Amino acid sequence: MAADAFYVGFDLGTTNSAAAVFDGERAHIVRNAVGSPLTPSVVRIDGRGRVTVGDKARKFAERDPENTVMEFKRLMGTAATYAFPAAGVQRTAEELATEVLRSLRADVAAQFGIEPKRAVISVPALFELAQSAATTKAALAAGFERVELIQEPIASALASGWSAEDGEGYWLVYDLGGGTFDVSLLESNSGFLRVVGHDGDNFLGGRDVDAAIVDWAISTSQDGAAAGLSRSNPEHTAAIEQLKRAAEETKIELSRAEEAALSPAIPLHGLGLELDLTLTRAELERLCAPLIDRSLDVCEALLHEHGVHGAALRKVVFVGGPTMMPVLRRRVLERLGAPAADGLDPMTLVARGAAIYAATSNLDARGEVADAREQTLWLQYPPVSSDTEPFVVGRAIGAATEALHAVTLVRSDGWRSTSAVLDAERSFAVQVQLEVGRSNVFRVEGVGRDSAPLPVHPSEIKIFQGLTIADPPLSRSVGVALANDRVRVYFERGTPLPARCTFAHTTTMTVAPGAEHSVLRIPIVQGEHDAAHLCRLVGTLEIPAHAVRATLPAGSAVEVTLELDRGGSLAARALIPALAQVFERVETLLVPGVDPSQLAPHFERLVERLTALRASAFREARRELILVLERADARVLEVERDLAAARGGDLDAAQRARRNLIELDAEIEGGEQARHWPELSAKAARDASRASAWIESYGTAQERRMLEEAVDRMGEALRRHDIRDLKRQADVVSRLGHAAWLRDPDAWPNMFEAAAARVHDARDLPRAQAIVEQGRRAMAAHDNEGVRTATRSLWALLPEQVRVLEHGMDSGVR
Amino acid sequence: MSLRAKIIDNPFYVLELAPTCARADIERAQQVWLAKLELSLQSAMSYATPLGRRPRTPEAVRKAADELRDPVRRIAHEFWMLRGDRCDETPSEAAEVASPPPDALVALGLRAPR
Repeated sequence: MAADAFYVGFDLGTTNSAAAVFDGERAHIVRNAVGSPLTPSVVRIDGRGRVTVGDKARKFAERDPENTVMEFKRLMGTAATYAFPAAGVQRTAEELATEVLRSLRADVAAQFGIEPKRAVISVPALFELAQSAATTKAALAAGFERVELIQEPIASALASGWSAEDGEGYWLVYDLGGGTFDVSLLESNSGFLRVVGHDGDNFLGGRDVDAAIVDWAISTSQDGAAAGLSRSNPEHTAAIEQLKRAAEETKIELSRAEEAALSPAIPLHGLGLELDLTLTRAELERLCAPLIDRSLDVCEALLHEHGVHGAALRKVVFVGGPTMMPVLRRRVLERLGAPAADGLDPMTLVARGAAIYAATSNLDARGEVADAREQTLWLQYPPVSSDTEPFVVGRAIGAATEALHAVTLVRSDGWRSTSAVLDAERSFAVQVQLEVGRSNVFRVEGVGRDSAPLPVHPSEIKIFQGLTIADPPLSRSVGVALANDRVRVYFERGTPLPARCTFAHTTTMTVAPGAEHSVLRIPIVQGEHDAAHLCRLVGTLEIPAHAVRATLPAGSAVEVTLELDRGGSLAARALIPALAQVFERVETLLVPGVDPSQLAPHFERLVERLTALRASAFREARRELILVLERADARVLEVERDLAAARGGDLDAAQRARRNLIELDAEIEGGEQARHWPELSAKAARDASRASAWIESYGTAQERRMLEEAVDRMGEALRRHDIRDLKRQADVVSRLGHAAWLRDPDAWPNMFEAAAARVHDARDLPRAQAIVEQGRRAMAAHDNEGVRTATRSLWALLPEQVRVLEHGMDSGVR
Repeated sequence: MSLRAKIIDNPFYVLELAPTCARADIERAQQVWLAKLELSLQSAMSYATPLGRRPRTPEAVRKAADELRDPVRRIAHEFWMLRGDRCDETPSEAAEVASPPPDALVALGLRAPR
């Protein structure tokens, strides 16, 4: 099998990992050294520095918890380290992932005799760019030469679709892993799979069910053995971990039984205390209900967004260990009203899909098989095709092919394509016919003008006929944070990957060679908000002073290019035309670290805002708003719980709290705006009217046309009651109007006077007063350019401007 | 998206497909154009529209196929394709772009009728 086709895929999971090999027709699960299809994502480093991975390491989780680490995937892409005190070493999540991948790679080599050089690795659809980048780096460190990433739900869909008899219509892939939840809506049509949309929650998983059981156990036995046990107490960490493991076992047992014992021995107050509790399936259902409902809210929003209702949803594909819970399956199927896809193993589906995807990406695990030196034809064809009549496109290369006139493809059973004559570019396109559901081998035949056969290389190609998948869509919009706290969106959510986009920006600060610590930053953010501070910083492209060839004055042009590959890995490049220099290194592609003591005050401020908003909503009887705030209330509870756990040393909970605080901020801001909808819409109307007047007086034909379009869209947003879009369009309208107004000869003097009136608020008063004097002299001399420079300098010293800069993530571009 | 963009970036022009094409034709066209672009074939580098030739990039091909896979978005592009096909009936591109659009401000009640 390996000699013919060898494609490898890995599911790097939070709790368990798996490997699969695809041979062109079937995906085979790789068994590890102990014969299991699943390798626990657990790493232990002992006192002699020896690394143990998988089942062997997991056995030490109870005996040697200090030197055994589990569930590190949730901290991928962060700088957080895990300590292994026995060996006296620290490891990041990325380094631990390297160990797991190395172990899986060895399992593939042991079973198939080939050490894979290339592979596909699955990541959650909502992984941030930094997390994806860390996964790629982990794989390269494990010895792979090249890897591609695939979003887990796409892998599951591909694997389930590959074996499906009747797969036409809409499917929902409900993927609840140990630590993440992904849901994808797919449409299957004529063997072609399209991701219609997806969503999820990066911090919802089976672990949360375990945590709910732990909380239940603590509260139930407050008078007993667990009295005083607290998740926020660092001294109780070992006891909590022990309790969590017991909770997981009880949860699994309840998939088969109606009730199960929860009676672990936990180390507390220097003693080995024993809990003696019984958890029923009904109680588990009650504990899980909020978590399942949270996942179902995400599913329903996704279905609603894409207009899929009732019987249009043909089936639900379950992925991940927690989906084996009967209570979960029942609740999901009841609420979504669709049957479950049969006969699929939720634990290995992702790995199988990753291996199939490796074939569609032509990522042969053995590396480059063909010898490029001998190649006479450069061929492009789909290694896997749902189309039964795809094209093979090629180009003759090298002097050896000068005599080549035409190319024909001959299938192994004798079927022949038409003879494709090479055109002026020495290229050809020939349509082939595939046998359904099989691996089709074609011999490539070349002939000269005299019809005499000519040898070509490659002389044989192979195309599998089966389900294929469209370009995966981007799960979260990606853009550049600007100095005014806005975001220039480069890729909207849903953009098919791979994608590349370039925009021109202007620098807002001067960078001079030799100026120590002077760095121009271009922050790259991910999220759906217009305000940069509400999005997640995923990397920063830096232009340091020591690297520029000459002084780069403020106001210089900089062209930024962002590029995303199919797995969502980011590359960024900044070109400075004035210096003819390119900067490519994304300096800090890390998820920011978290200090719980810094999060707490921010949380308190948000809770105050939420309380005030709720009071207004009740006072004004705004039912819609009250419902919106219920979601924020639920999030407050989660943040409270996570902050407590973070204070107890739980790094994962700290990260979750950080992200939830950003979401909470956005929800409260949304609620505040919803409350002010009448004022917002009236303001939008005023903005449009003012912009229209300015553009009529000073605008260009192009600005008039752009205004009409923006106003059209504004009207659409008003009809849809879409606050975000209304704000976005109102912003466009205002900017257009403002740009026109700046052509009014009195515009800059007016703005200067307004800024000068606030000079006493400036952070550097003597400097601000000097600028005011300078501006007044420019006004007297009718020097409009001088007035403009003075106004801008003054703005930079006024408080709003300072605040915007802080929010704008220190961006050096606009 | 401007009226001009609706015509010159129309996915049917990008993929050189007729509005009546089948779903399979979209996938096939994407596969062929991406392959030709990968082979750096000059003949694939641009496409014709009623308003002149436009550069064809892999991103444009992927975006075009993605647009046409969605039935709702496809209908809109079919409409603009038919409109684009009639461009030669209109006086010129400049006239098309500069022609006064409907008075949206008045329609929305954002400006008083004149």
